[in-house]
Amino acid sequence: MSKVASIEEAVQAHVNDGDVVALQNMATQAAPMALVRELIRQEKRDLGLVCLVGGMAVDWLSAAGVIDRFIGAAVSMEQFGLCNQYRKAVESGRVRVEELSETALNARLGAGARNLPFLPTRGMLGSDLIDINPNLVRFQDPFYGETLVACRALVPDVAFVHGHRADERGNVQIEPTVRWPDLGIFPKAAKKVVVTVEEIVDSEVLRRNPDRTVLPGFAVDAVVEVPYGAHPTSFFPNYGYDTRFHLDWVKVARDDEAAAGFLRTYVTEPEGQAAYLEAVGGAERLIELTRV
Amino acid sequence: MTDYTVDEIMCATLAAQFADGDEVCNGMASFIPVAAIMLARMTTAPDLVWLAGAAGVDPRPDRVPASTLESPLWRDSVMYLEQYSDFWHYAQSGRHLQTFCVGAAQLDRYGNANNSVIGDDYHRPKVRLPGTAGLADMGALGKRLLYWNPNHSARSLVEKVDFVSCPGYLGGGDERERLGLGGGPELVVTNLAVLDFEPQSHHLRLRSVHPGVTVEQVLQSTGFELIVQGDVPETVKPTPEQVRLLREVIDPDGMCKREAGVK
Repeated sequence: MSKVASIEEAVQAHVNDGDVVALQNMATQAAPMALVRELIRQEKRDLGLVCLVGGMAVDWLSAAGVIDRFIGAAVSMEQFGLCNQYRKAVESGRVRVEELSETALNARLGAGARNLPFLPTRGMLGSDLIDINPNLVRFQDPFYGETLVACRALVPDVAFVHGHRADERGNVQIEPTVRWPDLGIFPKAAKKVVVTVEEIVDSEVLRRNPDRTVLPGFAVDAVVEVPYGAHPTSFFPNYGYDTRFHLDWVKVARDDEAAAGFLRTYVTEPEGQAAYLEAVGGAERLIELTRV
Repeated sequence: MTDYTVDEIMCATLAAQFADGDEVCNGMASFIPVAAIMLARMTTAPDLVWLAGAAGVDPRPDRVPASTLESPLWRDSVMYLEQYSDFWHYAQSGRHLQTFCVGAAQLDRYGNANNSVIGDDYHRPKVRLPGTAGLADMGALGKRLLYWNPNHSARSLVEKVDFVSCPGYLGGGDERERLGLGGGPELVVTNLAVLDFEPQSHHLRLRSVHPGVTVEQVLQSTGFELIVQGDVPETVKPTPEQVRLLREVIDPDGMCKREAGVK
């Protein structure tokens, strides 16, 4: 059965207001930004967002009023600095943060994936993260009596992933690169999985390198072809992160009106991926980013 | 005469902490630790195992890149560790990756670090910082923690952190041990000095001052009273060869200088 959808259909069909969305994204890496823009375009509201380390996507979704909670280990655009729209949203109480250590996030999602009520970690003991969070509870392990932290299962409503290629059935391939928990566990824990890929190919192409297939089609609900779908984040080995675009955003992100104007220019106004890529600098910029 | 810059003495000091055969990894925005790891691998610790970005095993980056969490850093790796099922298994095993470099917005007198929130109310912070990332794990999993701070000031070295993102010696003394936590903070390398922990109280102590910096300067730039015992020696300067490697081979783009605010 074909899982191919348009970006509008995929977000319409699989994301409801109030949902928890687990998003691939490591600071400036590999975020399914076309899906992020579509959440803003469809004016989704009250979403929870799960990232290991969120970057510009978290900033945009905070600025556009799409999310009211963040669950993850960190939010940063690394060399480009803090996410100021997210910061403001948190400091004013519009976005709540469930800050988790990496092992705790992994444990919550690992439990979700395995249909367990919780998984334990030894991390975080001694930190202030446990007492502020009702999803974390100290307990005595029944075998040796050691104190551990139980991390309640987290089952996101939907996981967003960006891959290099997929077939129509939604089997997804990633080129050899480092892989983060947002690929390793997020899609396994989520009820639904929506994937964008650089290209949709014939299954024969996947069969040549089945070791590169990281998500089986039976666990994917929709697949959308979006070339440069991770821009302005990097997508190794295809393209690097867009330094200029990050700097442009950082410049406007301290000012709400300027940030809103930026989102109009790059999110609301461009109709479709080709128009978006034109808006961010067109072929010339994309060629630069491809030379990494 | 200054024949090195402050980032270079910090890199050389950190590099000296890595024994040959140790296993280390780095997180994001960690230019000085990355340069220190590269320097150690080129000089005193050729078999220092490095997991670039906590993922790329034994990489050969061309130089310290503009990001310590992007693919140029893990160029030519012999393996990519899948972070969920590979990296965190090894990191939690108690057998691997026992040394970890930590950078944080605040560090207190007992080596607790904060990268979460500034202010009293976690839910309505004065400043929302990036977040704990792996710190709360590395602080609790029995690791040997090496702090680096290129901005030694009363704002970053505080009496008590607003929030414990990375547990150090908690309230000092044997509190960490009583909680069943092994390892702990060992050293703090700043742009002014090297600090360690007095073994009984686990309170921060001045171990050495960088050449040209006075003890008085360090004390005035610290938000609490550091322990000073006897004559404080000078930090060992980087050698001309270390400086050459850092400038010409490891960090020709000056990412560490940028991190340390060196013009």
